[in-house]
Amino acid sequence: MEYDFIKDKKILIVDDEEELRKMVVSILQKEGYRQIRTAGTMEEALAVCRTWQPAFAILDVMLPDGDGFVLFDRMKEITDIPVLFLSARGEEDDRIRGFGLGADDYVVKPFLPRELLFRIQVILRRTYKEEDPLIRLHACQVDLERAEVIRGDAYVSLTAKEYAILSVLYRNAGRIVTIDSLCEAAWGDNPYGYENTLMAHIRRIREKIEENPSKPVSLITVKGLGYKLMTEGKRQ
Amino acid sequence: MKSTTKLIKRLVLTLMISLIVLLALNIILMITVTSKNMGYTGGWTMAQKLAESLTENEGGGYELGEDAEKMLEDSGAWAILIQDGTGDVIWHSQNLPEKIPLHYSAAEISWYTRGYIEDYPMTASARGEDLVMVGNPKDSYWKAMQPTFSLELIRNFPRNLLLFAGVNLAIITAIYIIATSGILRSVKPIVQGIEALPEGREVYVKEKGLLSDLSGAINRVSEKLRSQEYEIRKKEQARADWIAGVSHDIRTPLSMVMGYAAEIEDETEVPEEVKRRANIIRLQSVRIRNLVNDLNLSSRLEYCMQPVKLESVNLAGLVRETAADFMNSDMEGKYPVELLCEPETDYRLMGDRELLKRAFSNLLLNAQIHNPEGCNIRMELSGKGKEIQIDIEDDGVGVTEEQLERLKHTPHYMLSDSRTGHRRHGLGLLIVQQILAAHNGRVAFGHGRNGGFRVEIFLNRSEEHAE
Repeated sequence: MEYDFIKDKKILIVDDEEELRKMVVSILQKEGYRQIRTAGTMEEALAVCRTWQPAFAILDVMLPDGDGFVLFDRMKEITDIPVLFLSARGEEDDRIRGFGLGADDYVVKPFLPRELLFRIQVILRRTYKEEDPLIRLHACQVDLERAEVIRGDAYVSLTAKEYAILSVLYRNAGRIVTIDSLCEAAWGDNPYGYENTLMAHIRRIREKIEENPSKPVSLITVKGLGYKLMTEGKRQ
Repeated sequence: MKSTTKLIKRLVLTLMISLIVLLALNIILMITVTSKNMGYTGGWTMAQKLAESLTENEGGGYELGEDAEKMLEDSGAWAILIQDGTGDVIWHSQNLPEKIPLHYSAAEISWYTRGYIEDYPMTASARGEDLVMVGNPKDSYWKAMQPTFSLELIRNFPRNLLLFAGVNLAIITAIYIIATSGILRSVKPIVQGIEALPEGREVYVKEKGLLSDLSGAINRVSEKLRSQEYEIRKKEQARADWIAGVSHDIRTPLSMVMGYAAEIEDETEVPEEVKRRANIIRLQSVRIRNLVNDLNLSSRLEYCMQPVKLESVNLAGLVRETAADFMNSDMEGKYPVELLCEPETDYRLMGDRELLKRAFSNLLLNAQIHNPEGCNIRMELSGKGKEIQIDIEDDGVGVTEEQLERLKHTPHYMLSDSRTGHRRHGLGLLIVQQILAAHNGRVAFGHGRNGGFRVEIFLNRSEEHAE
């Protein structure tokens, strides 16, 4: 499997159920994550935070010595890391509370390993984007940090909008990103009515990254829905 | 309250009608009875006839015709002829009573013609210059001695009659209203109480007066209804809590079933057959997950525990998001979704994002469940006037007429008792119906153009977003 910097990130898993912890560890290890620790209680989790300094945490909401929301607040006092809640409590109120606290995502059990892995990947890529090395595409490489497309010896820079659009597509690589999400990423909170402009930007990005912009293989249109970025050497 | 006024109106109306009927009846009765006697002029006619049949004979005397004689005899009356000028009786019938004078002054004549001679009621008729007077039998007539009525009085008689009738009617009505208002006053709170019962308001009627038993009964019914309602709500709450509890407890174990099955599926050194089985376990676990989610949401919606949070939603974006999520989770790409929507149309409406997304997602999952071999899904958005229409159609196995009929008419098992033996449709579609009902929308199921299943959804644009 291709080297990916996010796989070196330290991940802390907090859940009161031992079997579930074991399973999540196994899922992450199979994906290539190398540094994983687990905790069964709030106290344990805080201790790990202090001594090991994880880069990312997966928290259960119900713990034997308190709830995950409280743990979230206390952890944030120690270290400001991204957090994903993994909870059996699926009511909207709980999710809203989780996001309200500033959680990066909220996954309701039961979950498919791929769903969890995808969401972890999105969070890690977003949080540590400056460490991100090159994105390998079919016809070129993209250096997001410098907003540049590298084709052999040639360097083509990306505009701000192109960069914003490509970043979102990259974080969700292999998955459809809707027109609306892309517009929101590029134009902010009120993205209504930018669809045609988006199409123009996509065309320009294709000119920069595709071998044959009229037959795209990296930036694919999903008719009526949105676009999908296919990267090389990555599981789709 | 309305019914009380209606009651009063009805009662007064009945009274009026009965009064008028009674009055009319009386008048008719009076006319028929009195018409036989009223204005009886028998005595006067007889006098006239006698005058005509009285003839002078050769001896200077007078003679009565045979007919007149008989008439006189039959009626038991007597008659005299008074000569003009002298006032003497120049002829009289055979049966003249002794006390009757044989000479009259002008004053006497005028007086007697008007009244009585020795208690015999008199009638008279002229015979030339002379006067025929008939003494009718005593007790046969009553004579008005001063028969002088003011013409004014007679002219105003109909008006006065109406006035009397009107005054009478008013007085009777007033008496009636006063009498019945007492009863109505005690009926009113009872009527109000009964009217309030079906609205589920708390009802208390004072238990006094004529109808205190009835008031008491109403109070007991109200009390019973309220306690029953409380019990039902408590049970519903318990049932919803129970469902929420079960669906919560099932999540962690199911995570492990799903997680490990998916892991086995991806394992490289595992035999194909084992992988295939692991795939089945994973897919079925996903089904259980969806079922648990649906069950929980459905019970929350059913018992009104899921508040509908309305916000401005761009439906096109929402549908795109749902379709993208669905396709992203469809690893094998067996269920491609095509979305058509006119780009210039405004698809914004007021709705609950989460719930609407759930409804569309359930419809996509429904196509997946019923077509394990895969199918193409086509979604189309269109907006006409105040309505937004979303069609979701697949080219899969579709439904039979019978299934469609059942889908339309059979209630879901959560809403019906267990006695009906029909197989019922899944929770997924029930939730779609519940969510649309919560948005004042509607849903129709039918056949797709390519033989698959077709769902049509209609939602209302909110006022501010309507074109």
